[in-house]
Amino acid sequence: MAKKPKDYKEDFLHQGFDANRTDYNRRGYHLEVALNVNQVRKFAQTAYDLGFYIVFIAGLHVRPDEEQDKRNSGLEVVYQFSRYDQLYRIKGCVSVPNTHKIPSISDIYQGADWHERETRDFYGVVFDGHPNMKPLLLAEEDPDFHPLLKEEEKLKSLDEVSWPSEIPEAAKKEAEPETGR
Amino acid sequence: MGEENKRSQITPDLDAYAAHLKSESCRPVIEQGREYGQGPLLRMKLADTIMKLCQANSLWPMTFGIACCAIEMMGTGMARFDISRYGSEVFRPSPRQSDLMIVAGTVNKKLAPVLLTLYEQMPSPKWVIALGNCAISGGPFKVKENYNIIEGADKLIPVDVYVPGCPPRPEGLIEGILKVQEKITGIRHPIPQNRHPKSPLKKVKGLRVK
Amino acid sequence: MLESEYQEHNRFFLNMGPQHPSTHGVLLIVLEMEGEYVLDPQPVLGFIHRMHEKMGESRPCQSFMPNTARMDYVCALPYNHGYVSLIERKAEIEVPKRAEYIRVITSELNRIASHLLWLGAYLLDLGAFTPILYGFDDREHILDILESITGSRLTYCYYRFGGVYQDIDDTFIAATRAFVKRLRKRYSIYEKLVTKNIIFIKRTENIGIVSPDMALRYGMTGPNLRGSGIAYDVRKNEPYSVYPEFDFEIPVGEQGDCLDRYMVRVKEIEQSLRIIEQALDQLPDGPIRAKVPKNIKLTPGDCNFAVEAARGELSYYLVGDGTSTPYRLKVRVPSYSNLSCLPELGRGILLPDLVSILGSFDLVIPEIDR
Repeated sequence: MAKKPKDYKEDFLHQGFDANRTDYNRRGYHLEVALNVNQVRKFAQTAYDLGFYIVFIAGLHVRPDEEQDKRNSGLEVVYQFSRYDQLYRIKGCVSVPNTHKIPSISDIYQGADWHERETRDFYGVVFDGHPNMKPLLLAEEDPDFHPLLKEEEKLKSLDEVSWPSEIPEAAKKEAEPETGR
Repeated sequence: MGEENKRSQITPDLDAYAAHLKSESCRPVIEQGREYGQGPLLRMKLADTIMKLCQANSLWPMTFGIACCAIEMMGTGMARFDISRYGSEVFRPSPRQSDLMIVAGTVNKKLAPVLLTLYEQMPSPKWVIALGNCAISGGPFKVKENYNIIEGADKLIPVDVYVPGCPPRPEGLIEGILKVQEKITGIRHPIPQNRHPKSPLKKVKGLRVK
Repeated sequence: MLESEYQEHNRFFLNMGPQHPSTHGVLLIVLEMEGEYVLDPQPVLGFIHRMHEKMGESRPCQSFMPNTARMDYVCALPYNHGYVSLIERKAEIEVPKRAEYIRVITSELNRIASHLLWLGAYLLDLGAFTPILYGFDDREHILDILESITGSRLTYCYYRFGGVYQDIDDTFIAATRAFVKRLRKRYSIYEKLVTKNIIFIKRTENIGIVSPDMALRYGMTGPNLRGSGIAYDVRKNEPYSVYPEFDFEIPVGEQGDCLDRYMVRVKEIEQSLRIIEQALDQLPDGPIRAKVPKNIKLTPGDCNFAVEAARGELSYYLVGDGTSTPYRLKVRVPSYSNLSCLPELGRGILLPDLVSILGSFDLVIPEIDR
């Protein structure tokens, strides 16, 4: 490659996000950012300014945390961004509050328009500020049917489906992003 | 908060939906689908035979390719398998100009009213081939957690010939058309055509090619 | 009539699809028209939504293989590839070299078949009946070759966790070499018939220009992006399998119009042939499948894997929970992002140009609807 590969962790830390490097060979992405509901739009704007393109927005249904029961609906939204000129994938993860609403990023990234409509279809997460929150993939007659929500007995908590705490070797790797298997 | 997360929604009852669609549409058109409407004033056996021969030898399919089986349907229309030898010279996009509907693919809850509208628009006499496992019974998508797939096109419209496979080979679709011809006239292929052309790959030793 | 009344009378809504010869699947586009000009195209999806992601969460990871083939049936092997590579990355399974080479050869053959089908279908939309016959004829040869080892013509489930299902033999290698030679001789037919055809050029030049910034905002990938000048290909940027060992180029367009996207795909066919030749020359001996436990336990945590399908970057995202059933399986398909730019791109264009743009995007609707 002509350009030296750049690590974008500092750019995100500088903006006040909780960003961590991850082991690409095990996870498939380089940076993991844990977001607050208020930080979603700033995160998208930072990614757009740095030149990332939007890969997908997905939902995830886990068991709500017992301590934060009043503030947590059990739904998570995962954002993934990547670059055209260099291999660098970032993943942003946000917990949806119990109002089931989070801000929309469809004015920054127009491609998020359809991803957000699909997440609403499957999980019931409403995106504030989205121009057209109508069903995309499911029938318009059942706007309240959310198929990918799991049944009570199949739910697992977020800890059960997350990686155990990082291995020290991966945390020690600095600067150079990995270029594949 | 916890109650919202519980799956209190009941999975849509798809059989009831299909039956409801069928009842809303014009029943006489579907029931008498293959009759000549009111029936002719005068019925002569010779005229009947000639009519049926002409119909069987020029079945024009409608382009209603929904999913994977549509590619095999297109492949059947192309140079190697050539469905036009059997009379299906053109695939008409308009249902008003076709008399054979090949349901090639999975019928969805959202697609079911579309299928019925198209079927009703076709003038009788009309025939239907259900191509592929999805159109016969829902295919690989007939699962316990199904919330969207109508399990078989015959829950909505009367089907004449079922061609199994996922997807069926083009030869299977041709066999389906021959069966429809047999259903109309009683003879397998009223006016026989030339045999299948040979593939140039036959020159490669050991490769089994028809 | 007053001008404003004339405009009132000329405004109407037109439904394009879901049954339409040119929408490449069941896609409904609601067009707000004024005369012959399209004011606002709005795609309506969901007519072939087949619950793939739900099925991925409800059964063990091995059972999802048929679903991968049915999402994009025209080019099914890269979808297989992405899924098995995802599980191999999660479960840390090492794949033998010979299996990787076979995977690359078959994936590239499938990519050529997909581009040939696209070429025929695109020109059929534009009104030309001959190229589709030639395209399908060449494609049938590929299908014969692939059928001899995979067993299916269209929806392949050939890859397994740790390798492939069946080994290739000398007949396959001879047939593939013969096919490569044959297709190279046929380029001149396509060039004379299509590429140098003035009608085709007039219908595709300067139509549907996608700027690089627009591509970034929508997340477009694949030949649609490369037509706009950005050389992004997952096989070069994020190499997987044995692609780093081959020497091939990424064709790039300049302007981002339909003609550029067409040229990119035609040149990609040649690059795929180069990869296949190199892979056949370098094919090593050895086992074709690693020893894998019957029940693969997916450790807790999430994982991502991206491959280059014929239409763009295909990305699988998996959340495991310790059992052999994925907790969440998300498939990010390229046509989804490619189509989502239609409302912006199609504003104020003529209706026949919309057909030309839709065809040049190379959409397969079942993968969008999953």
